[in-house]
Amino acid sequence: MVRDLFTFAGFNENSQIVWFKIIYSKEPGSLSLITDFLEKKNAFIMFGHLDNITQKTGEYSVFTELNKDVDPEDFALKIKELEVVNEVEYGISEYGMVYSVDFPLNVIGVRGVMARALTIVDIIKTLNQSAPHAEGLLTFSGLKGGTHAAKYFKSILDLNDSNFANVLAELFKGVGWGILEIECDPRTYEGKIIVKDSFIADVYGESDQPVCAFMSGYFAGYLTEYFGKNISVREVSCKATGKEFCEHIISPAPSGGTSQEYQMRGEMR
Amino acid sequence: MIKQPNVILGNDELLVTMGKKGDIIGFFYPRRDHAQHVEESLACIHTGERLLWTNDNEWNGIQNYVEDTNIVSTKLYHDSGIRISILDLVHPDVPVLIRRFKIQSQKKLSGKFFYYSNFNVGETSKKNSGFCDTDTHLLVQYWQNYHIGIYSQPEFTEWQIGKAMDTIWWTNSKYDMEDGKLQRNKEDIGNINNAAGWDLELEADGANEFVILIGAASSRRLLYKRMQELSKLPLEHIFEKTREHWVMWLSRKQVIKIPGLEEYDNLRQELFNAYNRALLMLYLLNDREYGSFVAAPEFDSNFEKCGGYGFCWNRDAAEIVLALRHSGYPEYCDMFFKWCIQTQLSDGSWFQRYWLNGDIAPSWGNFEYSTQIDETGSTLYAMDVYYRILEGLKKAEFLEEVWVSVLRAAEYLMKRTKSGIHESCMDLWETYYGIFTYTNASIYAGLMGASHLAEENGEAGMARRWKKRAEFIKQATIDRFWLQEGYFAKGVINEKLDKTIDASILGTYVPFGMLSPKDPIEKDMIQFMIDNIRKKLSMSVNHGYGIKRYENDSYINGNPWIVTTLWLSEAMFAFALDLPYEKTSFASTPPTHENSYEKEEIPEEKVKTLTNEGIKCLKWALAGATSTGLLPEQVDQSTGNPAWAIPLGWSGSLILNNILLLDKICRRKAGNSEEN
Repeated sequence: MVRDLFTFAGFNENSQIVWFKIIYSKEPGSLSLITDFLEKKNAFIMFGHLDNITQKTGEYSVFTELNKDVDPEDFALKIKELEVVNEVEYGISEYGMVYSVDFPLNVIGVRGVMARALTIVDIIKTLNQSAPHAEGLLTFSGLKGGTHAAKYFKSILDLNDSNFANVLAELFKGVGWGILEIECDPRTYEGKIIVKDSFIADVYGESDQPVCAFMSGYFAGYLTEYFGKNISVREVSCKATGKEFCEHIISPAPSGGTSQEYQMRGEMR
Repeated sequence: MIKQPNVILGNDELLVTMGKKGDIIGFFYPRRDHAQHVEESLACIHTGERLLWTNDNEWNGIQNYVEDTNIVSTKLYHDSGIRISILDLVHPDVPVLIRRFKIQSQKKLSGKFFYYSNFNVGETSKKNSGFCDTDTHLLVQYWQNYHIGIYSQPEFTEWQIGKAMDTIWWTNSKYDMEDGKLQRNKEDIGNINNAAGWDLELEADGANEFVILIGAASSRRLLYKRMQELSKLPLEHIFEKTREHWVMWLSRKQVIKIPGLEEYDNLRQELFNAYNRALLMLYLLNDREYGSFVAAPEFDSNFEKCGGYGFCWNRDAAEIVLALRHSGYPEYCDMFFKWCIQTQLSDGSWFQRYWLNGDIAPSWGNFEYSTQIDETGSTLYAMDVYYRILEGLKKAEFLEEVWVSVLRAAEYLMKRTKSGIHESCMDLWETYYGIFTYTNASIYAGLMGASHLAEENGEAGMARRWKKRAEFIKQATIDRFWLQEGYFAKGVINEKLDKTIDASILGTYVPFGMLSPKDPIEKDMIQFMIDNIRKKLSMSVNHGYGIKRYENDSYINGNPWIVTTLWLSEAMFAFALDLPYEKTSFASTPPTHENSYEKEEIPEEKVKTLTNEGIKCLKWALAGATSTGLLPEQVDQSTGNPAWAIPLGWSGSLILNNILLLDKICRRKAGNSEEN
């Protein structure tokens, strides 16, 4: 997601943020030619991204900071005049907050959106405060997300016992949801997940109860889809309750239906 | 989430609403307004690889009623070559829905057939309890004295009772079906759901049938008994008994002929169908015990986008019982007016709306300024209309029964109209506070009706007093609200005359008869009003024109309404019948929307024009019905599809009135042709 996204805080009145999407011939030195040109014209490169489109052409997306008096259209035409350049598109980030060359964003195979953690936590809080069975509802919502994620990873890489945990951890870090430490035995389906800086617990504020049911559900969905077996994940410790970090316990879901203990809930909670 | 039905079925104790693909949306037992026991209930197929939910977009569906019955046929087609034919009927004597699923597949199929339900028994997801009795093969869910059960033939071979929304998600029956097998948990409590499963083994082009009975009862014992008894009867027998029940009930209707509509392709048959469908629909909205009607089966019980429809409004019900009376079913008037006597408030008025048992319903009309005085006017008016139709001993008995109620209601209307127009209250659309043309007309009609009943009861003094006030109201309404533009103002809102044109001003003519075509000036006023409403409130939808409620209406996107469109056509038909009768013949070329009424016409031409314009409205209304012929409240202005409350009782009563009036016009014309 981050690859084609430019985000910065602050706003410089004398400059403008302009992105260029440059399709160029993939010849030795052609990319350098482009970057040299930008540098020579005082276009400060904030962020650049390369994409190999075909064997013959490449795509270079670059965010630049230009002086206010530079005409981006004129600048784009000049880039296009370079021998190695085939096509140039450009756009302006008027308020310099968030901009993306490609719209819509893509997160692991499907459309993604960016949101402030608070925006999502507000939804979670509203559900907790007003909706019956909010915890179950959030678990189910997370379950679906985790299942989709595991399905996607299975489709693009060899998800196996040596990498399933790292892939999940990388994803969580990549999308800013939290830093994971996962211990899970693929033979017994038991283990735990430590979440540091969970975006839910961080922003939620103080709570008497754990608040990351959505995340537990997500883990359960991911692991259930990966193992092909129902996995229970429950949060036993949550940063929102004053703990240092959040902890989720992994165990195989009991088979053969709901046993007495689940109805009575003595052992589960 | 708001879900609107495409079809309804039921019997005296049970009302079921369903979506286009046979998914149950509402399961009301034992009353039409309470309790609604179902959140979701539908079938799905596990192909061996994945679940196919029958309400999914992957299926194409055709749904209709078996002719002249409340039996429903739904046919579903899936791209993979699977076809499901569902036959739904409710036994006429017991509250049990019987669902026959016939499944066919072009290719060999080795999978499962599942029936999934998320019941909220007692209209609550809390404190429910469910179990699977594996000896009798009955799935039961209950709360207090409501018991809902599922039985099947052949018996289901697997099942699951699980938590519908909980952190122990793997017990959820909906989730449990995804791997193609159920966990067979036998009991659970709380917010629960259930599923039953059968092996589905089909050879290419093979078929398999499953019959599912969903029953309701007030005790576990009764539920078991009902299911056991029904399971002994062949489906063909139940089908025939149910079909016969509806056909017999319809056979009592006022016979219509509508001769002479040959130039309108198939219209006559469409009107016969619409007439029968409206009657069958109204049966299902009526509470047989109390005589009240739900305005529509509830579909927004959380009042997310409106105030809900699953209650009884006197305004709607008074229209409905009179339409049913004119259609050959007088007993609905008897029952409803009994209910009115019971529900009248201590000040003589009627409340905004009620639960069907007569308890006052959730309301935004709890004060004198927010009550709807027209509901009291409408009720009195309807009592008098009914009285006038009665004959002999029944007449005297009815008057005796309602007299005290009439007196109290009339005095309430007197109290609220001292200045000749009513005191501030809420309008019939339940949106504005103020003084309204429609409300004044209904009060006029109520007091005139009461005056007539007083006279009949030997109370000449009261009769004179009430009539005098009615005439005062009529004069004051005309003086203050009639505009030189040729229509009544909507009323006074925020102490200012609101000149918005509102279709409800038609009430001054139909039904309330404050304006009479016998008076030459009033005749012109009616004509102007009809013309102006048609010109100013028409919206082009479905290759025709529907009438919206009023200018700048914003409720549910300001769609055109079936009610207002049929109200206009009713006024046109009534006006055609009220014009001095001359020998007429129908136009072979109906006038266009633009040219009608623009020049002074001789009565013969006028009758022709009015009738043809009315027919256009009728056709437009029928085009806005569901695939099953149910008339909604509105028609979506961009898609032309039925919108919002489906079906609406008021729309049903108006289509009956329209068809009966058109029948009268056609018969008069046919008689005339025969004479010639």
